[in-house]
Amino acid sequence: MNGHDDAWLDSVAVLALGALPENEARDLRTHMLDCEICRNEYAELRVAADALALAAEATPQELGGAQCARLKARVMDAVETDRGPAAAPSDSRVVPMRSRGTARVWLPYAAIAASLIIATFTGYSAYTTHAENDANRQQIALLQARVDAQERAAENARAELALNQSRLADLIAPGSTQFAVQNGVVVRSGDRVLIALRRLPTLPKGKVYQAWTLRRGAKAVTPSVTFVPDATGLALVELPGSAATFAAVAVSVEPEGGSKAPTSKPNFVRPLS
Amino acid sequence: MDDASLLMGRVRERDAAAFEAVYDAFYRLVYGIAVRMLGDTMAAEDLTQAVFLKVWSSPGAFAGGNFGAWIARVTRNRALDVLRSRSSRAEGEIPADVPADGELDEAVFAQLDGQRVRSALAHLPDEQRLPIELGFFGGITHEEIAKRTATPLGTVKTRIRAGLKKLRFELEGSLA
Ligand SMILES: [Zn+2]
Repeated sequence: MNGHDDAWLDSVAVLALGALPENEARDLRTHMLDCEICRNEYAELRVAADALALAAEATPQELGGAQCARLKARVMDAVETDRGPAAAPSDSRVVPMRSRGTARVWLPYAAIAASLIIATFTGYSAYTTHAENDANRQQIALLQARVDAQERAAENARAELALNQSRLADLIAPGSTQFAVQNGVVVRSGDRVLIALRRLPTLPKGKVYQAWTLRRGAKAVTPSVTFVPDATGLALVELPGSAATFAAVAVSVEPEGGSKAPTSKPNFVRPLS
Repeated sequence: MDDASLLMGRVRERDAAAFEAVYDAFYRLVYGIAVRMLGDTMAAEDLTQAVFLKVWSSPGAFAGGNFGAWIARVTRNRALDVLRSRSSRAEGEIPADVPADGELDEAVFAQLDGQRVRSALAHLPDEQRLPIELGFFGGITHEEIAKRTATPLGTVKTRIRAGLKKLRFELEGSLA
């Protein structure tokens, strides 16, 4: 393994990109300890690979307005909870997200992940005083690790329940375009359009969600598929028809069996441009 | 030391205002990577919160260097965790994490922004850009890239290397 061979250099590039499988990465890192040629190559390509992340930076169009404010409120509130004194015991079941100045909306969480996080932080605030010393910092790190593990487990459960992974993976492939909508995203990939929604409220008996498409040049929407979210509030729906002919996509709540024209205010109307 | 590194010094002292400034400077990057990799705005928000909570609760994890590059790697590695947990793929089909504290050519990186990188990427031929984007944002290994693009593995690796070299060249050119 010590001798350098130029064949390693292609693998070095894949390692810098972060696409080398763990077992190969281990061997290559061992080789790089002794090989200056590969180390130099890695350093050169690493900056290009790191720079790729910058290309993904969300624009104000992709992340703006209410979503932007809500996300910041979530993060800052979670941090405040982290640094604040213990919550009053009588208040221990309240979600630890405080309102500060403007009203902050913590979305109703149907997801398992959030309830676990809330439980963890609630438990945490009940027995800890101030996060000022190292011991407490370690505690926080430990809790964070636990939250992470729970997030992963919850994510796993949700995914297993509902997601058609291979189809979704294809649809998030480069070249696909994503349009943020309330509760999720509309994805256009090649000639296909998919709607992925989370945390959809459960509907009363006899009601379903229905997708609508507005064809280019048309004045009225065309009925598309009806669907109901799974038990976790997830829905992944592919719309029949050709993406190129759609000017906009909408979703509304309709009677079972669907409607010919929307009978309720749409959950969202999203132009695909 | 750049602004973000100075701010992180204050975050270590539990300065919430400094943390807020760090958030304001980097949330678009963190969220953007997350949504690109996970393809889901809600999951991307969850990931963004997790990353920034990590910044707050373990600021010592940032050991210096370029903060933007660091938080981008942390975000990507976390998104890989999510993809792993969603996936039934075998161990060998999942790429290794890239260490968040690696060598980095600070002089080049510090001057870059999204617009420069997007335009440099646009200069790559599709056959190089596609496997690079799949590997970085798709969270899949070179073997999976080869399968999906119906290209021999050796060719995929060579194209990734050639593409990254060209990308670096273009990026340096854009700074000249
Ligand atoms: Zn070597």
